[in-house]
Amino acid sequence: MPNLRNLSVFILLTILAISTIAQRPSRPAVRGPVTFEEVAAQASKINWTHNNAQSQDRQLPETVGAGCAFLDYDNDGWMDIYLVNSGPSDFYTPPTPLKNGLFHNNRDGTFTDVTDTAGVAGGKFGMGVAAADYDGDGNVDLYVTNYGPNTLYRNNGDGTFADVTDKAGVTAPGWSTCATWFDYDNDNKLDLFVSSFVFYDKSQNPLCTDPTLQRRYYCVPRLFKPTPSYLYRNAGDGTFQDRSRESGIAAHPGKSFGAVATDINNDGLIDLFVANDTMPNFLFLNKGKGKFEEIGLAAGVAYGESGRPRSGMGVDAADYDADGWQDLFVANIDHEFFSLYHNDRELIFTDQPGEIAPSTHLFSGWGLKFFDYDNDGDPDLFLVNGHPDDMIESRIPRVRHREPLLMFENTGRAFKDVSARSGAVFSKAFSGRGMALGDFDNDGDSDVLASNNGEPPLLLRNQGGNRNNWIGLKLIATQSNPEAVGAIITWQAGALKRSRLKIGGGSYLASHDPREILGVGSATKIDSVEIRWPSGRIDKLTNLPVNRYVKVVEGEGVRPK
Amino acid sequence: MRLLLTLILSICVPGVLGQDTKLVQRFERVAALIHDNRIVEAERQLAAISRTAPNSPDVLNLLGTIRAKQNRLNEAESLFLQTLRIEEKFIPARMNLSYLYVLKRAPDKAIFQLREILRIQPDNAEATQKLPALLLAQGKFDECISFIQNLRAAGTVSTDLLVMLGDAYVAKNALAEAEGPYLLALENRLDNAGALLGLAQISRLKGEMRETSIYLARVATLSADSNSPEFLYKFALLALRVGMIDQAKAALERSLKLRPDEPSYLLALGVAWLSRGDLFEAEKLFRRLIATQPDNSLGQLHLGYVLLNQKKYHDARLWLEKSARSPNAIPEVFYYLGLVAQEQNDDARAIPLFEKAVQKLPNYAHARIALGSSYMKLRNYTRARQELETAVKLDPNEPKAHYSLALLYARLNDPARAQEEMKIVDSLKAKGSSADGVVVLPAPPRP
Repeated sequence: MPNLRNLSVFILLTILAISTIAQRPSRPAVRGPVTFEEVAAQASKINWTHNNAQSQDRQLPETVGAGCAFLDYDNDGWMDIYLVNSGPSDFYTPPTPLKNGLFHNNRDGTFTDVTDTAGVAGGKFGMGVAAADYDGDGNVDLYVTNYGPNTLYRNNGDGTFADVTDKAGVTAPGWSTCATWFDYDNDNKLDLFVSSFVFYDKSQNPLCTDPTLQRRYYCVPRLFKPTPSYLYRNAGDGTFQDRSRESGIAAHPGKSFGAVATDINNDGLIDLFVANDTMPNFLFLNKGKGKFEEIGLAAGVAYGESGRPRSGMGVDAADYDADGWQDLFVANIDHEFFSLYHNDRELIFTDQPGEIAPSTHLFSGWGLKFFDYDNDGDPDLFLVNGHPDDMIESRIPRVRHREPLLMFENTGRAFKDVSARSGAVFSKAFSGRGMALGDFDNDGDSDVLASNNGEPPLLLRNQGGNRNNWIGLKLIATQSNPEAVGAIITWQAGALKRSRLKIGGGSYLASHDPREILGVGSATKIDSVEIRWPSGRIDKLTNLPVNRYVKVVEGEGVRPK
Repeated sequence: MRLLLTLILSICVPGVLGQDTKLVQRFERVAALIHDNRIVEAERQLAAISRTAPNSPDVLNLLGTIRAKQNRLNEAESLFLQTLRIEEKFIPARMNLSYLYVLKRAPDKAIFQLREILRIQPDNAEATQKLPALLLAQGKFDECISFIQNLRAAGTVSTDLLVMLGDAYVAKNALAEAEGPYLLALENRLDNAGALLGLAQISRLKGEMRETSIYLARVATLSADSNSPEFLYKFALLALRVGMIDQAKAALERSLKLRPDEPSYLLALGVAWLSRGDLFEAEKLFRRLIATQPDNSLGQLHLGYVLLNQKKYHDARLWLEKSARSPNAIPEVFYYLGLVAQEQNDDARAIPLFEKAVQKLPNYAHARIALGSSYMKLRNYTRARQELETAVKLDPNEPKAHYSLALLYARLNDPARAQEEMKIVDSLKAKGSSADGVVVLPAPPRP
């Protein structure tokens, strides 16, 4: 596996005192399957509802939003929550002002609305959010995508944010959906990919109706023109350069939703997989020197099996079968089946959804994420679903507007649908869109935040994932890009040996807890953790504790408390 | 056993002519009891009659009818033959024998009996109607045509026979000759659904889809309340072929009300639901068919097909393998089995299955596409190219063939040709010529 980063490799062995950056609550005594428990708004104090601005005209932006994020905006070691809302646009004037929401984690299961203090209310027709420390000052910033110009909020480090969009030059006009932070040119700064959906304004909304309905429904995106997505290069001085054209990204207009930044050919250059709705998906292979080549067709990830483009929405990437190569996932609309693309090497993928296919036959998937929900060391898969057409039930039998969540457990080389045993919330239906991953209660297992179109968000506490042992890493880059996107973490505990690439983005309109929880199953001792940083440095850590979060500093190892 | 009701009705009074009125009434009572399915009582009363006339042809014929009703077909046959040994020209027994032979799937024997009836009684209306119908059903088109044409030469024939004549010509693909009898039938009766259906069939075979739909729409109206499941089924098959799915479904649902659990109707209705894209309703019908007829290889094939399309590979393979064990297994079953293997990422298993499908049907474009795709997955690009280019030649309007070829060219680092193929895919899809799926649905069986 050639690594094109011609950088010095620094191996650090750490035999240091380990710091605990957050205390975990006592572990549950009851054994059984891992479940997700719905945290009611009364308990979390998150009294917030997404307003989808639904109108008789059924304007398309009404149905595709909105997103959500887990982020630690105040660096207290606890995940806060950001929720995106609709707002004024050319087709919508809210009767009362609508706001995005920033909720501070009170460390006791409750959250406090700090939106106004923080100055991140938005005020536009919001879509998604991507949180990252783009300027490397140690504070996580927020990029909010909109139907209309986007917003970059720079974290001032004092609980407030400043709108620096114009100065940074990342407006990305048009209709943006997902945004992904990653370092495409390996200059150790975070660049930004912004998915653009269709060309749209209120005058572009054709009449989509059915004589039997006598009212409009949301038009399929096939009827709209595609637009090119954006690639912004971080100049390192608080500004970005639009490299969409030079990189080759703009040569491929799409109707783009989900995007994930990962390394599909293990060459150390981060590639991009982008889902398109009613158009072929894009797989942008990073060729180095700032150039991308779109290889979706040859790779076998662009089309459905008969050469028909599908309605790609959420995406993610992970090496689910531990063969050392990144696999891809894309969720589509009902009857199209979702795709699990196994990486067959040589830039070729094969769709091998296995049990995921029949389970998702009638569903439309948006937010989704590979993560190790039971800390056994391998990535499982969580899916958030919902049909974009609220009148679909009168048009297509068996397809529902509100759909259940799905949970798939990794069985080694395939996935098993374990939704039925994963908690009562899986028997409910939602108008799901965004899905963010984060351990909001710091108990060592990943919780889930789902944003629902026109509904309150759904906060799910993982119950029992921490019955297996784990270690949580917060990676602090000193040389690499601040989010360490592209880092390869390898860990060993007895017979268990696993490896994980830290990807950028994934899911839909969402942003995730940047910490990495490494599951070790029943092992009580972690033999080693190796971090191959994007800069090329390697930190090898030993004598690590289990069931604790630790900070790992690039080139230094575990940082003492 | 559906023919047995007709069998009962052919318990003719002529056999008892000349006997006393009381006896005739007793025979009629027995016939009525058989008709009402009160078999035990009928047999008891017939036993009472037989004590006075044990070898009477009427007694033997009625007893044969009772045995047939009891599904004791061999005994029934013996009784009817015994009747004829006593009285060779006893028409009711010959008519019953002809029905019985149809039931016993011995159509040639049935035809012989009908010909005998017409030799004995040339103007026998029932035999005149039944014989050409049976000849047509047995694929003896020339004999059917000749029989009806002889009748025409001798005088006028019924509208039903004209329609039958048209059907025989259509079956021979003699469309010009078929049109005349249908039109004549319509002269007799403008709302003759059978003639209209025949004309629809001719239009379809000529590729005149608009005319076909017009005729079929008229047939749909006329046959809405039809009590003939056979006719409704025939209509439904044609409607399915021209995409009049709702009308086909309605006709098949009515057919199934008239004749519940008839395998061919269940199969066709399942196919209609498939055409609507509803795999789940189709699955229910195919499962119902298999519950009725567990060894029905077409039912197994279709059930396997819907499960494959739901990506339930394990179950799909189970049913398809059952279907493949049939001596009459059609090429599609091997193709679908190959697809199951291919989608389970087992191309080494898929290839011989696709090859078997191609061996059975060399111009099977879909099987060649699948074969090419499997070779491509195994990185045997030379074989992949051979198969895919053959597939494109066989079916240039199949988007999947062009898509697979585009994928291959892209992997062979020939982006220009790949894009060319994708342009063809797009234009074919725009024309709506896409099958929009991987698989070809086998045509439902002929009635």
